[in-house]
Formats: sequence, C-alpha cells, structure tokens
Amino acid sequence: MIFTAVTTIIGFMVAIQFQTTKEPIVRDTRSVMELRQELTVEKERQQELMEQLTKNEEMLEQLQDTSNVETVIEDAIDDLKRSAGLTEASGEGILIEIVPYFDQHYQGGAIRSVPSHLVRMLINELNIYGAKDIAVGSQRIVSTTPIREVQGVTLINSRRITTFPLQVRVLADDPEQLHHYMMTSEVKEYLQYENLEFSSTPMKDLTVPAYDQSMRVRYMTPVKEDS
Amino acid sequence: MWLPFIGLLVGILLGLSTGIRVPDAYTSYLSIAVLAALDTLFGGIRAHLEKTFEEKVFITGFFSNIILAAGLAFLGVHLGVDLYLAAVFAFGVRLFNNLAQIRRLLLERWSKKKNDSPTSL
Repeated sequence: MIFTAVTTIIGFMVAIQFQTTKEPIVRDTRSVMELRQELTVEKERQQELMEQLTKNEEMLEQLQDTSNVETVIEDAIDDLKRSAGLTEASGEGILIEIVPYFDQHYQGGAIRSVPSHLVRMLINELNIYGAKDIAVGSQRIVSTTPIREVQGVTLINSRRITTFPLQVRVLADDPEQLHHYMMTSEVKEYLQYENLEFSSTPMKDLTVPAYDQSMRVRYMTPVKEDS
Repeated sequence: MWLPFIGLLVGILLGLSTGIRVPDAYTSYLSIAVLAALDTLFGGIRAHLEKTFEEKVFITGFFSNIILAAGLAFLGVHLGVDLYLAAVFAFGVRLFNNLAQIRRLLLERWSKKKNDSPTSL
C-alpha cells in the first residue's frame, strides 16, 4: 500500500517534470507596434517577390511566344549588364563636387584625397536616398567595388583617387529630391570636419562611365540543367 | 505485486491530465526530488527483499530525502555552488547500489527455488 502511494507520487512528479521540460512556454512579448513593423516588412518582401515573379513570367511568355529566342535572351543579357554597371549610363542626376577648403587658421598637412570611410559613407547615403548609378571620379561603383585606403590615398576599383575637385556623378529618378537630401546629409558635415567642401547640383543630362575592369565572380557558378 | 505499477500509471496520468507546469527556475528542484524519491523507493524494495523493511523508516526517509535534496539545491543556488550535483551524485550512486543488491537478491531467490524443486522440470 505504501509502495503504491510512493509510486503514485513519483509518477505524478515525473509527469510534471516531463511536461515542464518538454514544452517550455515561449511567450510572445512583441508589442502591437513591433508586430505591425514586422507585418510591413513581410508585406514589402511579398511585394518584391511578386514583382520578380511577374518579371520572370513576362520573360517566359516572351520566350514562348517569339520564334526568335536569341533577341529576347540578348535583351535580357543587356538588361543584366546595365544593372550590373558594365555599360555607360546617362540620364538625369546630380553632380557632386568635393574640394579642399582651407580657412586662415588651417593647420596640418596637405589633403591628398577624400578619406575612404567618407567615400563609403557618401555612397551609402546616396544609395539610401535613391541613387541608381554612381561614379566617383572616373570609377563606376558596382556591387564589388573596393574602396580602400593605402598609405593615406584612397583607392577605388584599385585606382588612385587624388584629383581635386573630386566629381561624383549620380543618376537618379528624382535628382531634385536627391540634391536636397544630400545638401542636408550627415556626410556633408563629416566632410567639413576634414576640411573638404561639398557641393551638389542637379543636372538634366549626366553620363556615368562603364565599369572598365573585368568582373571577378568568385562565389557563383553557372547552373547546368541535366538534359 | 502489481499495485505499485498501477499507482505509477495513475500518478503519470494524473500529472499529465492536470497539466501543471513548474516554472523554469524550479525544474532542477523537481528533478532532484524525483531522484530522491526513486532512491528511497529502490531502497524500500531492497529492504523489503532483505526482510528488514519498516514502514516508518520508509515514509520518513521518502519525505526527508526529498526535502533535504531540494533544500541542498536551494542552498547551492544561493551560494553560487552547484550543490545539487552533490545530491545527484549521491543519489545516483545509491540508486545503482540498491539496484545491484535487488538484482543479486532476486537471482539468489530464483536459483534457490530452482534447486529446491528439481523435479518440476
């Protein structure tokens, strides 16, 4: 009888322990705001995916409809080349000029180039505010463009960027807005601390050069269908 | 003979059906309590087989072991030393000793029975 009571207690405890360790209660502690934000992010992603899907479906339709597949594929390749930055691009945009600025109290050495971290910051801000294509000096910025500092000189695409004024050409859909954004941007202030003056002018017609080096693709391989 | 097993089943069913959950912080106490209870149970079975079983000793041992083990774990948490490991170790060793003794006693009993009635085969 006693054994029965004891085993009952043990069974009870084991069952409780089992339940406790099996499914720990994970409480959802997100607030309504956070949930809304997440929902918005997911919706945006859905939108993006839908857009991609439509684009690909359109291309598939074109491929199926036209007897001449080559032109469609060539168009697609040209499109890809354009978005990768391998072709010259022109259109509306803004021209940013960066020049050294010395006041009478200036102490310090000569300014040889715009510091690399500021170039990076500038490009980031341009991208945030809707730049489509960017060229710094004569160097087109592509997705793999390295911006480094070697012995006090900034290198973009492994080319020295030492000429002043440094011209940054940016293509955008709405150059006026981008211009206003850039004139109030954080990078402008930071450039001032480095004795560099920053000016931006919206332009009707602007051309950015093509990326002139060969692209090194390291982490992608072509997919071959088994047929 | 089968009553303890039925009791175990009833206990498990009761525990599962009530759906009680212990807060995460106290799971170590519960596990150590289970271990202490198991230790006492096997000690009781051994005593029963050795014919030295005493109800009072068993019942008091059962509860005091559980309380002591939980208390030790509690003290360990507050001292910042994993004292419950000591309890786990002690109970684990005793559990295995008891099991070994029970096995030996049962084997002995079985072989004695076999020798006593050779004609039955």
